[in-house]
Amino acid sequence: MDFLKNYSIQYWLESCPQGYLEDTEYGHPAGESEPEALLEDPVLRQQAIDTTVQLVVGERAALAASSGLINAAPDAASKCFLATQTLDEARHVEIFTRRLFDLGVKRDELESVLADRANKNLVKFAELLLEKVDKKDFVAAVVGQNIILEGLAFGVFEMIQAANETFNPKFAHTLSGTIADERRHVGFGENRIGALIREQPEKRPEVEQLQKEMSYYMLATFADRFRSRETSYEVDRMKEQEAAPAASAATPEDTAGTWQGVKIRNLEPREMEQLLADTILKDFKERLARVGVEYQTPNRP
Amino acid sequence: MEDPDNRDVREDLHALRPDAFYSRVHSFQHWFDSVQGYLDELEQGHRADIVPEELPENRRERLITVLCNYSVGETAALEASSGLVRIAPNRPVKIFLATQVVDEARHTEVFIQRLQELGVADPEAAIEARASAAVREFKRRLLELVDGADWDAAILAQNVILEAMELSVFEAHAAVADPVTVDVLSRVLKDERRHIGFGENELGRRLKRDAVLRQRLSRLKRELDHLVLQTVQDTLEALGLSRDERPDIGRNYLAAVERLGLQA
Repeated sequence: MDFLKNYSIQYWLESCPQGYLEDTEYGHPAGESEPEALLEDPVLRQQAIDTTVQLVVGERAALAASSGLINAAPDAASKCFLATQTLDEARHVEIFTRRLFDLGVKRDELESVLADRANKNLVKFAELLLEKVDKKDFVAAVVGQNIILEGLAFGVFEMIQAANETFNPKFAHTLSGTIADERRHVGFGENRIGALIREQPEKRPEVEQLQKEMSYYMLATFADRFRSRETSYEVDRMKEQEAAPAASAATPEDTAGTWQGVKIRNLEPREMEQLLADTILKDFKERLARVGVEYQTPNRP
Repeated sequence: MEDPDNRDVREDLHALRPDAFYSRVHSFQHWFDSVQGYLDELEQGHRADIVPEELPENRRERLITVLCNYSVGETAALEASSGLVRIAPNRPVKIFLATQVVDEARHTEVFIQRLQELGVADPEAAIEARASAAVREFKRRLLELVDGADWDAAILAQNVILEAMELSVFEAHAAVADPVTVDVLSRVLKDERRHIGFGENELGRRLKRDAVLRQRLSRLKRELDHLVLQTVQDTLEALGLSRDERPDIGRNYLAAVERLGLQA
């Protein structure tokens, strides 16, 4: 149980609010704003709103799940860690919601924009997780949340961050804090759940089925997103921005915009989908093996 | 795309429109700005440079029992506030409750660490053995309200009744405690003031215009009063205060609850 000391409130206070979030406002340095090129192009702006809506939906699910799991947690240290995760997820809801306002969504239209634009497959993904939380099934729910959902968030955030490093530093900076949070959450899931799976091996089949189903809905969400005409347009426009002399001069380092060893902006949308899906599924496989669960290959949409 | 509701809010929070004001004071950002300062550079929930007072054995024993009661209260608040996130009526309230979840978890952690500093090897076992029956029963009843998704009743029980009780007891204890415990309690109290303010705001406006709700919550308050007053009495006894030394915590608690217009 010693590893749980690294997940205490004190550790969280020192590393997060008093560490990498110090001097930020809504997750990014004060004074940063969305790029003009995005705000002035209606398709790009709509795509940015759509992307951010999915982030809010995912984070709302994580907020409901982490808060709901506190009561089911088997020990005080796990409860304390989940309390820090609850606040992390609430912060993510807040900063991504704030981005929707920055992109021009009116406050009184927020809920209807979320309802209209939430990806149906992502909603199903979240519902599967919240069913386990409602049943206070701690083992399955922690795998669903801290390995599957957080693994998904981690991969998606990293790729979006790389893609926005040059084009939209405000959004890239916002994401870097959430990535640091997700790294902690995934670590907890692996450490805590490994011990619980060893104590309750009969839970394995149920957990494996959950992973398979959640993975399918994740892939279906990616397919909806990357195979649209609007995404092709978005990728082309952002490539043009990247190629503009001012942008090139602003990022002399060759690694800017690189994820998994690949320059994201050199990829077509279908290649991005493949890279994202393969990276996350490989990650699931490795993490699940570490906690003693056998990865199940999901159906492909 | 400038948002007038968020311009210069640090300078003039009270100039915001009411909905923007509530959204702001319930935000992570507001929590973040509030706790910066009083939670900086602490070890185990208190300043590292405070020289601990050597406590006589009977005083140390009493303090351990009191901290066990506090731990049950804080765990109740942790489990209740986390359960309420899901059923909260809107996003700002969910976010506020998430900040409360981490506050309550911090309180649980610092009280358990204080027990360890006092030489308690197994704090969970000590809590099990020493915590008062009244505070345990209060916890059970509170979690029953949360599990039943009874938003108004759970907010009354947690953010008004439990917080008012804790506020009154911690203030009284801080007046007579050793320096380390005083420092821990003073930082916990700052959080509790935020929580009770939320409870009063959340319920106050609706209670004023809804007689049926007022009647229902008055009944609940009467049901819980004896548990609260018994918990207060148990804690004051554990602190070793004689009857004439005890501050009128019961009266302070009842006054806080009655500010909402609930009938005695």
